[in-house]
Amino acid sequence: MNWLAWRQHRKQFLILGVILALYAALLVPTGLHFWHTYQSALSSCAQNPANPSCSDLSGSLFQSTIDQAVLHLVPIAILFLPLILGLFWGVPLLSKEYAEGTNKLVWSQSVSRRKWLTVKLIWMLAGTAIFIGAFTALATWWSKTSNVLEMSRFDSGVFFEQGIVPVAYGLFAVSFGIMLGAWFRKTMVALGVILGLYIAFAFVLTPLAIRPHYMSPITVTSPMGPDAIQSKIPKGAWVLTRSIVDNNGKSIGDIFPSAPPECQKIIQQAQVPGHPSTFKAVPTPGGGDPIDDCLNKAGFHQVAKYQPSYRYWDFQEIESGIYLGLAAVAVAATYWLVLKRDA
Amino acid sequence: MSQQTLTKNAIETKGLGKRYRSFWALKDCSINVPKGSVSALVGPNGAGKTTLLKLLVSLSNPSDGSATVLNQSPSQKPEYISGIGYLAQEIPMYARLNAKEHIAMGQHLNDNWDSELATKRLKELSIPLDRPVGKLSGGQRAQVALGLALAKKPKLLLLDEPVAALDPLARVDFLKSLAHAVTDAEGELTVVMSSHLLADLERVSDHLIILASGETQLCDDVEHVLKTHKLLVGKRQNAVNDDKYTVIQQSHTARESTMLVRLEDIKYHDERWHIRDVDLEEIVLAYMGQKRDLADTMAAKGGTQ
Repeated sequence: MNWLAWRQHRKQFLILGVILALYAALLVPTGLHFWHTYQSALSSCAQNPANPSCSDLSGSLFQSTIDQAVLHLVPIAILFLPLILGLFWGVPLLSKEYAEGTNKLVWSQSVSRRKWLTVKLIWMLAGTAIFIGAFTALATWWSKTSNVLEMSRFDSGVFFEQGIVPVAYGLFAVSFGIMLGAWFRKTMVALGVILGLYIAFAFVLTPLAIRPHYMSPITVTSPMGPDAIQSKIPKGAWVLTRSIVDNNGKSIGDIFPSAPPECQKIIQQAQVPGHPSTFKAVPTPGGGDPIDDCLNKAGFHQVAKYQPSYRYWDFQEIESGIYLGLAAVAVAATYWLVLKRDA
Repeated sequence: MSQQTLTKNAIETKGLGKRYRSFWALKDCSINVPKGSVSALVGPNGAGKTTLLKLLVSLSNPSDGSATVLNQSPSQKPEYISGIGYLAQEIPMYARLNAKEHIAMGQHLNDNWDSELATKRLKELSIPLDRPVGKLSGGQRAQVALGLALAKKPKLLLLDEPVAALDPLARVDFLKSLAHAVTDAEGELTVVMSSHLLADLERVSDHLIILASGETQLCDDVEHVLKTHKLLVGKRQNAVNDDKYTVIQQSHTARESTMLVRLEDIKYHDERWHIRDVDLEEIVLAYMGQKRDLADTMAAKGGTQ
């Protein structure tokens, strides 16, 4: 059975192997370049801290168009790789056999359907884990410069491009693709379903509705004022919400209608005529902002909820667990569909 | 006694049925196929031929009844499937693999596999072994598939409309190959081959199974079928089944009645009738027509209600 699995799927493995080599050829030199540039900027800043760019390295390094393009486009490969494997490896694995009737050829040889399916699943799922693992290891290593510069690997947009989560996403996409292929037996239908399912679940539902709840977030409060709340959120944290709360503890959207009348007067004075959302600075003798002072006096304050950066690997593990669990369900359903349903 | 019958027949089914939702594709099918026989499984399209063969090779599960094939009940276990060679309708194969690779595949998927035999057969037929099977002609593909089924050294060969898509020359070649294989097996190989045309199978088969509308009409030795089916011709009269015969088909002119009947006693004799022989094709058509007439009548009745 291994002979047939390799003969049938070797082309898919070879193509992905070539793509992996090309990806490495792009990532290794650029990754080294970014890291060395960052390191030399650090050491020159240590000797000459007065250089203005040293206070904001992330804003001054790698600002050229090509650097920006590479920094933003390269990780997208990891974002889409699981879905692509689900579509091109997972779905056709069984749907093509059903559609062309070759399942009847193989199932009438002296090998049980169970063994046939097991061998195929092992090849495909192990291949998925190994290839996505390699791609992600490369991308994770490559991202270390932007991780320390921007401290943002916990953010929704980056979370599933690094670490161990992409492998779990890949196994989820491929096993669901296989299962849907065995269910619908028509490649195009299964492709459409997995595409919709994956986008909805992995790109929308998980980051917006599921991931924030793995652990209860940490809540911090601060008085009104610039940077007052930002200074209480540690670097590298994933900030879930930031809001202004009135004296009753109610979160408010727009300050103006909710502010007490005496503060509304100050706000109106500060408004630039014709531009209601622009305010001119009105310094007070104490040095503070009169609007903030007024709101603070009225009991307004700021609240933020975040997941701290030290939970990053906990979150990686929890999310991987969820996706691996779903993949296991899909594999079990595939066995049922193949063994119990008629050819 | 029961042990005796087990060893005499390659296939025995009792009340075998397959239902798809509310539709019975095969119903109450009870047949016995003797070991070493070559059976023609005939019936119009949709009669349940494919369903029956798929049940026998365990590609689908029965809704009703039971089957015993080579003394085992159908299952997905290798020890069951290894005894059966099967050629599905439309002859599915991996279009991009060539014949040699298909033979290698069989080698890897079967314990008891004869690569040399398969290669030799295909070489004799001068079929290109290196060309992807998707690029072979229909006749060549059928020969490759037959070669694969035979390389398994099966005790039972189930062929589902193997010649339906072939041109007349390829048909003859295919049946010739099959006849060779049967001769070579010296009575150890049982064949069941389906077709909607008896003419395809008449030359090679010695046993006949007729299916129509999912039900078994006849399952018998060809020689016996010819002995028990006669045409009765006589003065016009209404045909009635009696304990001597069953009427399969009848037609009447102003003065004469003609009936195709199945006799209970092959020595049947009656002065009212001239008894004539009929050929196999007429018998098959009569059975299929009887079923169709019945269906038409039922439909007509249903329509007037």
